[in-house]
Amino acid sequence: MKKWFLLFSTVLLIMALSACSSESGSNSGAEGNSNTDSITAWAWDPLFNVAALELAEKQYTQENKDFNLKIIENAQSDIVQKLNTGLSSGTMNGMPNIVLIEDYRAQSFLKSYPNAFYDMSDYINEEDFADYKIPPTSLGGKQYGVPFDTGVTGLYVRTDYLEEAGYTPEDLTNITWEEFIEIGKDITKKTGKKMISLNPNEPDHLRFMVQTAGEWFTGEDGTTANIGDNEAVKNAMRVYKEMLEEDIAHINTDWSSRIASFNSGEVVTVATGNWMTPSIKAEESQSGKWKVVPVPKLSVEGAKNASNLGGSSFYVLNIPGKEKAAEFLADTFGNDVELYQKLVSEIGAIGTYLPALEGEAFNQKDEFFGGQKVTTDFVNWMREIPRVNYGMHTYAAMDILTGELQNYRTGKKLEEVLNDAQKQAEAQLN
Amino acid sequence: MNLRVSKSLIGWIFILLATILISLFYFYPMLQAFILSFKSGMGASLQFVGLDNYIRLFNDPVALIAIRNTFIYLIFQVPLMIIIAMFFSVLLNSPNLKFKGFFRTAIFLPSVISLVAYSVIFKYLFSTDGLVNEFLLSISIISEPIEWLMDPFWAKVVIIIAITWRWTGYNMIFYLAGLQNVDHSVYEAARIDGANVVQQFFYITIPMLKPIILFTAITSTIGTLQLFDEPMNITMGGPGNETLTISQYIYNLSFEYTPDFGYAAAVSFIIVVLTVIFSIIQFKLGGERD
Repeated sequence: MKKWFLLFSTVLLIMALSACSSESGSNSGAEGNSNTDSITAWAWDPLFNVAALELAEKQYTQENKDFNLKIIENAQSDIVQKLNTGLSSGTMNGMPNIVLIEDYRAQSFLKSYPNAFYDMSDYINEEDFADYKIPPTSLGGKQYGVPFDTGVTGLYVRTDYLEEAGYTPEDLTNITWEEFIEIGKDITKKTGKKMISLNPNEPDHLRFMVQTAGEWFTGEDGTTANIGDNEAVKNAMRVYKEMLEEDIAHINTDWSSRIASFNSGEVVTVATGNWMTPSIKAEESQSGKWKVVPVPKLSVEGAKNASNLGGSSFYVLNIPGKEKAAEFLADTFGNDVELYQKLVSEIGAIGTYLPALEGEAFNQKDEFFGGQKVTTDFVNWMREIPRVNYGMHTYAAMDILTGELQNYRTGKKLEEVLNDAQKQAEAQLN
Repeated sequence: MNLRVSKSLIGWIFILLATILISLFYFYPMLQAFILSFKSGMGASLQFVGLDNYIRLFNDPVALIAIRNTFIYLIFQVPLMIIIAMFFSVLLNSPNLKFKGFFRTAIFLPSVISLVAYSVIFKYLFSTDGLVNEFLLSISIISEPIEWLMDPFWAKVVIIIAITWRWTGYNMIFYLAGLQNVDHSVYEAARIDGANVVQQFFYITIPMLKPIILFTAITSTIGTLQLFDEPMNITMGGPGNETLTISQYIYNLSFEYTPDFGYAAAVSFIIVVLTVIFSIIQFKLGGERD
């Protein structure tokens, strides 16, 4: 009896093990790009970027029957890690033909690994794309990236809460962050709801606040720290702290509690990139209660009520198959007007290819937002986004500022905060 | 003579494979990393810069904060965990205890859980509207939720609680094994001589366990110096850099920021140096009578 049981469990174990190993075996085979017949692409987010690539492949294979795209889904941080380890080792083995890179990180890759990426200048026309997408995706006059989605920002507002406090969405349209705080104090007093949800440990709001002024944490060269005398950064830090101190901010600790803050109706507004729309619409009971207005600006000269948060672009690696991959991207994301219609209607992705940003799919009224033509508005704001070079050190600078924001909140003077951040950045970024 | 040669030859062949593998996969990369630490540059374009990385290290406020945080974890967490582990092991070794297997498993169970999985759970437990706050509020110990992960002090406390929860059972097993090797007659003799339980613990148990205490202290110290998963997943090093550890900083330098593998390698050698220093100190303290 016991023997049979032993035998049985051994067989089971062997089966399980062999199943595991064969699975991982086929995985690793798919990741590398051994034959040039099929093109490999790395991207994150199955519902967004991967879905976009699949749509593009479907369009493209109608005319190019023998084209075969293998899309490998990886978390963004994994892609960053794999690219860094792979490219720095000097061998291009196992690297994909096409890779998606976030705009904030693009310059760092382009500069760190010269010759690793394929020049796309001859394949696409950079003037076809939203102006603000060009500095991050190009280097030394060469266009490397095929700009993909926009992170154009907006201020999502709960119209019912506004009404309760005696405001309309127009009162929040094209305002500064100071006005936002003033109105916020009133609304919070009247409705008991917090105005906005912030995570002081990941203050991504600072990023798009600073961009409304056409500024960044590094200078135009993309490497020199530009924090100490930067009016935009100074203003953004002050506004951020004030929102926390005036008690109009709900504090979240991670992504899920941030989503929960608006899905549960705890906050009046959400200021973020347009990619938040699906998460906002996920709470169907709030249909008709939301509207989107332009994001508030900093009260710095030249600031606009338009900014960007996130967004990424496709890159072709300089390995066999590059021409094929480049043609694919150029014919789809760099040319195909119909594809962009589908991207909007099927997955809600707004591209940055200007000739394709009109037409029926972009003109739909959205009942969730009270009949507002949200996509049309986002596209209009996108054209206004100040052009900024994100440079090499966005995340390093953000970590320095996050640390200093902590000190600022506990009583350090703003001037000292910025000067210390500048010194730290000068020591660290080179 | 012939026999001796062939005997020692067989011995050499036996250890040859292990030696080659260790040299290839441990010592060679270590040497390469050491050479790397004298280079600097973005990504693949590295140049020799001499001692610049090490000079930069001592002027880098973030690196110093990371070292400070790691020391804080070390000073509070390692002794705390060792004391708790010893306490549990003595309890579990008591001959009067029922359901020994159950308790032993229960306390050891945390150490088989994946680091990431338990870190994520701790993150949720200690979030502002998490279970811990709800519980403390409901029994009226606190009147307002504690911002566990947003406060520099509490965030460190959470990390320390988390590591202690995860590793206490692991260390306890070593003590249990050690205690089972202590002859019962020693305790019996002590009892006959009139030693009470506390005296037995301090004059028999601790001296008998000394080599094991030394071992767990060193492995825990090394573990804490390399702490990565918990701060990465629970706090992301925040608030600010208040829970950042050296390992996490190395990760940031290599993968979060524009990669500077040379400088990252230099920072990693700080861990090597610290580990050696601490091990020497612990050997000196623990081994004085042997």
